[in-house]
Amino acid sequence: MSDKVVGGKCSACGAVSYPRRAVCPKCRNETFERIPIEGEGTVLTYTDVYALAIDYETRYLRLAIVELDSGQRATGQLLADDPKLGMRIQTTIGVVRKPGEKPITGLQFVPI
Amino acid sequence: MKPIYVAGAGMTKFGRADWSLIRLASEASRAALHHASLGEIPVDGVVVANMGAARVNKQTALGSALVDQLALYPAMAEAVENGPASGASAFKVGCQAIASGMADVVLVTGVERMRVVNGLEGTDFVASLSHPEVEYIYGVTLPSLAGMFARLVMDRFGVERRHLAMVAIKNHLNATKNPYAHIQQAVTMEGILTAPEAIVNNPPIAEPLHMFDCCPVSDGAAAVVLVSEEIMTKLGAPPIRVAGIGQATDTHAVHEREDPTDLKAVRLASERAFAMAGLRPADVNVAELHDAFTILEIAESEAAGFFGHGEGHLALERGETALDGRLPINPSGGLKAKGHPVGATGVAQLVELTWQLRGEAEGRQVKDAEVAYACNFGGFGNNVVATVLRREAR
Repeated sequence: MSDKVVGGKCSACGAVSYPRRAVCPKCRNETFERIPIEGEGTVLTYTDVYALAIDYETRYLRLAIVELDSGQRATGQLLADDPKLGMRIQTTIGVVRKPGEKPITGLQFVPI
Repeated sequence: MKPIYVAGAGMTKFGRADWSLIRLASEASRAALHHASLGEIPVDGVVVANMGAARVNKQTALGSALVDQLALYPAMAEAVENGPASGASAFKVGCQAIASGMADVVLVTGVERMRVVNGLEGTDFVASLSHPEVEYIYGVTLPSLAGMFARLVMDRFGVERRHLAMVAIKNHLNATKNPYAHIQQAVTMEGILTAPEAIVNNPPIAEPLHMFDCCPVSDGAAAVVLVSEEIMTKLGAPPIRVAGIGQATDTHAVHEREDPTDLKAVRLASERAFAMAGLRPADVNVAELHDAFTILEIAESEAAGFFGHGEGHLALERGETALDGRLPINPSGGLKAKGHPVGATGVAQLVELTWQLRGEAEGRQVKDAEVAYACNFGGFGNNVVATVLRREAR
């Protein structure tokens, strides 16, 4: 799953933690299976950031929180020209940040 | 638990400082100590609140450095780092020392000197509080989290950009009456929203938030002197009781919160503070909220219990939170206009409220204020400290 973004599915109650954590917030179990955070979903909210973080040279960055059909939520970059709340998206993996030589990959959301 | 009192309060003018980090802390501390008029009574402990000195100023162990500057040895000393809630956290640590009987006099000083680095580096330093693996790597910054929060709140509750502008206009106006404020300049609806040139004056930062929805980057320091009841009775000043403190945490990543428009940690911290004080939100006469972004003042005013969920912008529009309203919010100008030296902010809120309760807030005095509330919002709402102060009869 090295090319995927992963969460932790609690091996006792099945609740998914993303980010992964040491203890399940629902049942306090401490063992998890890795599951990919991927699929289709909807845009819960988004923003266009003009005061950019370090490492970015674009004019602005479009970030979103999405609700996936699997029930998980995730933060990532929204690759949509005409974003709207509730719009349908699917996840892809792409380069999300380039601090120096080594690019970092992560979740991007593209309209369906 | 033994009673705790604020016996003195002082701060530096917020803005761009020429002074070193420790000079800033020292000036605010001296002002607070003079205000407390302790005479020969020794200071037992020093707690410094700061978020970024290790990174931004390349200095650590600030408690020891401040003790040395003020020649307060052999007082106990340490620094507290809790992101943007460092100030109220340090205040809480100071209160615990008094409440436990371990100390009778504690100096709590918040300080930040963050304008020594450029804007990009400053933004990155604050963004380092976001979740490193599921937020930070995407280019998440504090304004971007606030922008996403604002869009959701605006969509659900009918909050408009003009409401956000009303927060800025109110707080800028209050700051014109505060000589310690970073920006002492009034702004108008035309200038920041409705006139054709408003987009030039007020460019987007993280849509729907624009520049005048965001606090400035400030240097500054603020300090209070906490004392036990035994010491308070020896001093002549009006006794300002630390009536209640509440603290609560929430998920690190914002996207994991069940209802991302519910500032749960603000709600829980406030409930705990009011329960400890034996008071209700309706008893509060003046409040300082953590308006790092205009939307937060509205949302916190609801989560703290002053207004119903989704009704804060309506109370604002009716003028209830103005300096002459039913519940003045951010008479100091708030983070929006007074400024936000991150580690100093939580202490500065309590400095303003102490002055308000002592009747020393001059042109921005809330008449006969007896009960005051502060919300210091850490992370993006994942660690919140609420404080209730009350003036007691002598």
